[in-house]
Amino acid sequence: MGQERFADVVERFTGVGAGEPPAETVKRWHEELERGFRRLQNFHGLVTNPVEPRTGQTPRVEVYKRNKSRLYRYESSRTHRIPVLFVPNLGISRPYIFDLLPGGSFVEHMTRQGFDFYMLDWGVFGPEDNDLTVEDCVTRILPRMARRVLETSSFVATHPEVPVRNFVNMAGPIDFAKVGLFGLWLGKQNFNVDRFVDTLGSVPADLVKAGFKLLKPTMDLSTNLNLWWNLWNDKYVEGFQALSKWANEYVAFPGEFFRQWVRDFYQDNKLYRGELVMGGRPVRLERITCPVFVVGAKEDYIAPPECVQALIDAVGSRDKQYVELPGGHISLIAGRGAAVHCWPKVSGWLGTRS
Amino acid sequence: MADAAAPNQLFEQWRKQFEEGAQAWARLVTPPAPAAPPDPTAFWRPVLDQGVQTWAKLFAQTPATPELLTQWKQFLDQWIEAWSKVLGQTMGTEQFAKLMGQSLDQFLVAQGPIKKAADQQVEQALQALNLPSRSQVTAVAKQIVELEERIERLEDTITAALRRLGDQGPR
Repeated sequence: MGQERFADVVERFTGVGAGEPPAETVKRWHEELERGFRRLQNFHGLVTNPVEPRTGQTPRVEVYKRNKSRLYRYESSRTHRIPVLFVPNLGISRPYIFDLLPGGSFVEHMTRQGFDFYMLDWGVFGPEDNDLTVEDCVTRILPRMARRVLETSSFVATHPEVPVRNFVNMAGPIDFAKVGLFGLWLGKQNFNVDRFVDTLGSVPADLVKAGFKLLKPTMDLSTNLNLWWNLWNDKYVEGFQALSKWANEYVAFPGEFFRQWVRDFYQDNKLYRGELVMGGRPVRLERITCPVFVVGAKEDYIAPPECVQALIDAVGSRDKQYVELPGGHISLIAGRGAAVHCWPKVSGWLGTRS
Repeated sequence: MADAAAPNQLFEQWRKQFEEGAQAWARLVTPPAPAAPPDPTAFWRPVLDQGVQTWAKLFAQTPATPELLTQWKQFLDQWIEAWSKVLGQTMGTEQFAKLMGQSLDQFLVAQGPIKKAADQQVEQALQALNLPSRSQVTAVAKQIVELEERIERLEDTITAALRRLGDQGPR
């Protein structure tokens, strides 16, 4: 390529010699430059003066505690009679994702819709809890939490033994034969859960983190690229900081919990097959007869929609509904998309039945 | 025509480099087993083609606009998405799962005795210093958890008994 031809290319590209550029183009370059400056400003702020995001700000009171677990009741102008008990996953992550920031909080949305809202925080388990099993959580801790909800909300359940009026499953895996990469990696032929738990005692938080990072190795790259692209936007940066804080705060699994979780659910799919026994009683999904609402996320690679949707066919309820919404496992519940797609659907469905 | 030839030549070179790179990666990530190996170039090709076309269009524009940056961002998004699919396919194979399981097993087999020996040494050192070891502290914490559970059960029993008494009413 000769020097003269290269100059031609530069001239064509920059528009030198082609007369004045259109006013619209100049205006947009100005805007882009301004964004560039704000990007640099925010980047400087992020690096030199990182602000701890104030998550979980919806007012609440602790109504019960048991070992590391806490039950919180959130302030609301209660208009619905039936209280809502929200039970997040145990281990993996902290539950403040559901109450991330004012204006971007599922809990805040539910309380504003007039629900008497309770959330269970399983807490951060230590080595002294390594003997805790899934069965302990389901048969000992959960019923107590439900009882405390009934007591504090002054709601009298028709069936105090199983006081569930409505059931909502938000991206919770049910048919583990369709659970994707984790199902393959944790399968009997590839993963020796006994050796794992016997050697390590529990699943350290760093290992949980590594497992989730491996599930989507390009996630950090695209997250950082999107951060750079939106770094001029203060609101985006605030949301990013809160989400990033949550996304890097992994929680260890108690050893026996992990053993039972992997063996009974990932490896033997006992819940869906109707072979699960808890507290000496068989667990049968078809015996669920209350109204059921199931929400799956289209791009969920942790609990793919087909494994979540399986609950609809398995339960014995007549009033049941499945919705599949855009987003992934986290963006289903947190973020701008969730406020538009997911929260109103959940509160709307519950509202007419509460 | 001479104007258009220079960027085209650049793009051709760039495209060739990308394709060679993609093929090299394909050779690396494709398992030698004959069973349905993933084909990363199948993901790469449309992204590359689209990217190159977009850039060719942009270079033909005079003058350059901020659209250039948006297009670049879109290209990077597609590039990351293509890689994500390639990696997802590779990691979704039985061979990968087996390999990962074997590596983890090897790590655990090696880790077990090391951890045991290290724990013993730390315990001996703490004992020599007359300090409680981690396992001793854990045992105490476990006892507290068990005590809490017992109290809880007692509370439940008393509450149930009181409820029954209340239901029976004054005689």
